[in-house]
Amino acid sequence: MTLLQDRAATARSAPGRPSYWTMRRRDHLTGYLFITPALVGAVAFVFLPLVLVVWYSLHEWNVLADTFDFVGSENYRKLAEDPNVPGVLRATALFSIGLVVLNLGLALVLAVLLNQKLRGTTFFRVLFFSPVVVSLLAWTIVWGFLLQDNGGVNGLLSLFGIDGPNWLRSGGTAMVSVVVVQVFKNVGLNMVLFLAALQGVPQELYEAARTDGAGRWTVFRRITLPLISPTILLTSIITVVGSLQVFAQISVLTQGGPGTSTTVLVYYLYQQAFQFHAFGYGSTLSVLLFLIVLALTVLQWQMRKRWVFHES
Amino acid sequence: MSLKMRIFLYGLLLVLCVPFVFPTWWMITSSFKPNASIFAFDFAPSTWSLEPWRQVFTMQPFAQQYWNSAYIAVIVTLGTLVVASMAGYAFARIRFPGQNVLFLVVLTGLLIPSEVTIVPLFRMFNSLGMVDTHWPLILVPMLGPPSVLATFIMRQFFITLPGELEEAARIDGLGRPAIFRRIALPLARPALGAVAIFTFLHSWNLYLEPVVYISSQTKYTLPQALTQFTDAYQGQLWNVQLSAASMTAIPVLIVFVIAQRQFIEGLAHTGLKG
Amino acid sequence: MRRTLAAISVCALLGSLTACGGDEPEAGGPVTLRMTTWSANPAHVELFNSIAAEYSKTKPDVSVTFEALPLENYTTTVTTQIAGGNAPDIAWILEGAAPDFVASGALTPLDDSIENTADLAPAATALWKKDGKLMGYPFSTSPFGVFVNNDLLKQAGQTLPAGADWTWANAVAAASATAAKTGKQGLVIRDFDYKEWSNLATVFRGWGADAWTADGKTCGFDQQPMVDAMTFLHKAIFTDKALPAPGVAADFFAGESAMTIAQISRASLLKEAKFGWTLVPLPAGPSGEYSVIGQGGLGVMKKGKNAAAAAEFVKFFTSPDNSTKLAQFFPPPRQSQLNADTLAKANPLLKPEQLQDVVIDGIATGVVKPSHTGSAEISQAVRSALDPMWKPDADIPGVLRGVCTAIQPLLAK
Repeated sequence: MTLLQDRAATARSAPGRPSYWTMRRRDHLTGYLFITPALVGAVAFVFLPLVLVVWYSLHEWNVLADTFDFVGSENYRKLAEDPNVPGVLRATALFSIGLVVLNLGLALVLAVLLNQKLRGTTFFRVLFFSPVVVSLLAWTIVWGFLLQDNGGVNGLLSLFGIDGPNWLRSGGTAMVSVVVVQVFKNVGLNMVLFLAALQGVPQELYEAARTDGAGRWTVFRRITLPLISPTILLTSIITVVGSLQVFAQISVLTQGGPGTSTTVLVYYLYQQAFQFHAFGYGSTLSVLLFLIVLALTVLQWQMRKRWVFHES
Repeated sequence: MSLKMRIFLYGLLLVLCVPFVFPTWWMITSSFKPNASIFAFDFAPSTWSLEPWRQVFTMQPFAQQYWNSAYIAVIVTLGTLVVASMAGYAFARIRFPGQNVLFLVVLTGLLIPSEVTIVPLFRMFNSLGMVDTHWPLILVPMLGPPSVLATFIMRQFFITLPGELEEAARIDGLGRPAIFRRIALPLARPALGAVAIFTFLHSWNLYLEPVVYISSQTKYTLPQALTQFTDAYQGQLWNVQLSAASMTAIPVLIVFVIAQRQFIEGLAHTGLKG
Repeated sequence: MRRTLAAISVCALLGSLTACGGDEPEAGGPVTLRMTTWSANPAHVELFNSIAAEYSKTKPDVSVTFEALPLENYTTTVTTQIAGGNAPDIAWILEGAAPDFVASGALTPLDDSIENTADLAPAATALWKKDGKLMGYPFSTSPFGVFVNNDLLKQAGQTLPAGADWTWANAVAAASATAAKTGKQGLVIRDFDYKEWSNLATVFRGWGADAWTADGKTCGFDQQPMVDAMTFLHKAIFTDKALPAPGVAADFFAGESAMTIAQISRASLLKEAKFGWTLVPLPAGPSGEYSVIGQGGLGVMKKGKNAAAAAEFVKFFTSPDNSTKLAQFFPPPRQSQLNADTLAKANPLLKPEQLQDVVIDGIATGVVKPSHTGSAEISQAVRSALDPMWKPDADIPGVLRGVCTAIQPLLAK
């Protein structure tokens, strides 16, 4: 409706001037000028590179020998035959699923806890949110230090008589560690968004449900969850897309190991392009990453129609 | 709420605090330990040593690197605010031909992580002679995918502004640019705040890009510098690294604690609410 | 708004202009050469700077800066600099990356830039030649030896096995006993850290094992000598606890372990050691005595802006005179300097017999650590495939077969 109002406003003020530069024309010009930087940015730093990525993926580029040769679909054939790719995709999927489930789950729990009528919730809110503002690298390095075999986490566990595993060096726990470190880093953000959504649920609805005799859990499932579902959708999209971009954590904590158990797609792309100097094949992996992000986003928008309660 | 329930909830909250507070505590206290006893399990060092904090500056041009990160983040934040608020306003409140198509064009940036385009961007900046300069770290976040998210947030905010305000301003004879500057922008302060926080943190955290583009030590940004504290033979100097990490984290944490209300509520009450 | 726009575009324009313009070499004007290294060791840097200062005396318009890059990403960083059009004039090159650099044509031949090339030991230059031309100068040809903490051994009531008893079995037994008694670590393979597997060559060469055949075409990990060597190593780690387990950090030079396998250039770390130490050759393995060399070379980048001036500086930097100075850290490839007398002058910390046993004999008989074209990718593949080995119940032959499955396609390239 804002659109209509706006159009009406423009129409009404338009006949104000007889010259060529009518209000409307000037508005058009202003509009174009206002979006020019963003548009130039999108073309120069999003579209052009995307086209180039596809173009490079058809080439072999050797930096040391300074050659750039057209090889057609060679890199895509390599992608299909690359024995590392299934493992890389599995690691990527594990990381993303683990991160989204744990992050959203914990964020929701924290938000519900902080939404109780308790003293000192502000204090806890600040604590849970604080890692969001800590530099990602500082956070990751500290956890890398804590998760050493003789580090702080195992020290803490030994206080309770638990002999902790070698977190970052054993196949099963390395991925868990990377996911959990990332969850604690960013869960505060989703927590705050959930908290705002929870506070937006009208109290009358809760009271009505209580008078109907519904239990806590039923109220949460039937009223709270549906009402905050738009926020859940939005945070899950942001978290999923963000999870596909994880690089620093892998690079600092595990370097993709042990084996290739934590080699996610972006890390593999970096290895191929910048460590093995296979820029052409690296570009092919970029194309794959783009297709995955595209597919996931489309899928999530489809799910919105079915699951999300309302859109205002 | 019953007393039992209260005690239970507080207990739960305290337990949940551990993974959020313990790392920061451990980072700061361990940074005062000598490297030889860095893995001793003490909640506070037995002897406090300032040596690691001093070494941070002798091993690397850390002050310079700090400045690099800070000035890049500030320029990126200011630039993004300008670019995103203008574009967001135009897409939300001005009608012009091709608007929807152009909005879609800009919006696709949301779909493309900068990791996808790192190779061609590297080549582009390479051919412009901008590799090993700060330009890629400024231009891409300011105009590329990260600023698209900002544009989107700003547009969502401007759409909710009541049209009457603008109309009144028009009758007073204000042009578009003036309406934008004097009426829309001041009203958009919460959204601008959220965008500023997001953008600043994004730039401050950037790691893959500096690793790819920057190779001279004096041009490193903080995240990159943090990983480089090793002794002459590549043994990891945990205590120096943790001192440097503390120095990156503490100032931002202090700013955050002082302005936590604006921070959190600014983020909560924007278009991101869904 | 228009002003902001204008400002942005002007900035962008100026930025590209200054960045592009600044790169042009100034013919005849003062030249600054940039040499990338992986050593930030103050003693090394001081020596390099003094050599550069001396050079500037005769060539006042040439100055040299040394850029120390972290070893971990050294080759990646240098290659990225080259790709970014910002190639260093002179670069140190790790032995692992040598085949890539030598074969690619990124380097300028050095035959005319090295004094008295006939003096260079053939074993030292083998890796650095292409079609008979010397593409890189192996300024450091550094054998691996075993540093021993005498105090820790004494504390544990152990004596260091000597002569024919200096075998891997006895070395591990002594390390294991010392670790158990003192609570410190036994034997640390420096820089291996369960990642840099090429340092394991210092162990598996004792069984006559090779990562791959000399022609680089066939994987050697699944061969019997390698299986035997790895079985021994695995037992030493997980049963005898003679080596620190994965993820456990221990620094010999801080007195945290009884022994360490390291290159002799590390001796400089012991200048202020608070414990008694000695240096001995690698223990004998089942296939007898052996020696392993790590190399560092330096090359002049074709794409550097001042290739001619750089080649001239290399001539000075590697001259016999400067070579003796560098010898205190980096054993030289010059045969005329590979004698106990010359080396002893440069290495006051080491005794002549240590130099003879470890360095001179080592270089004469030594094998350079594994290297191959495309080594970054191969190394990564080996590292990943070896990871399942580093747990107590590993299937060693199975893991080693897996290594070959992973790297055979890469070797065949």
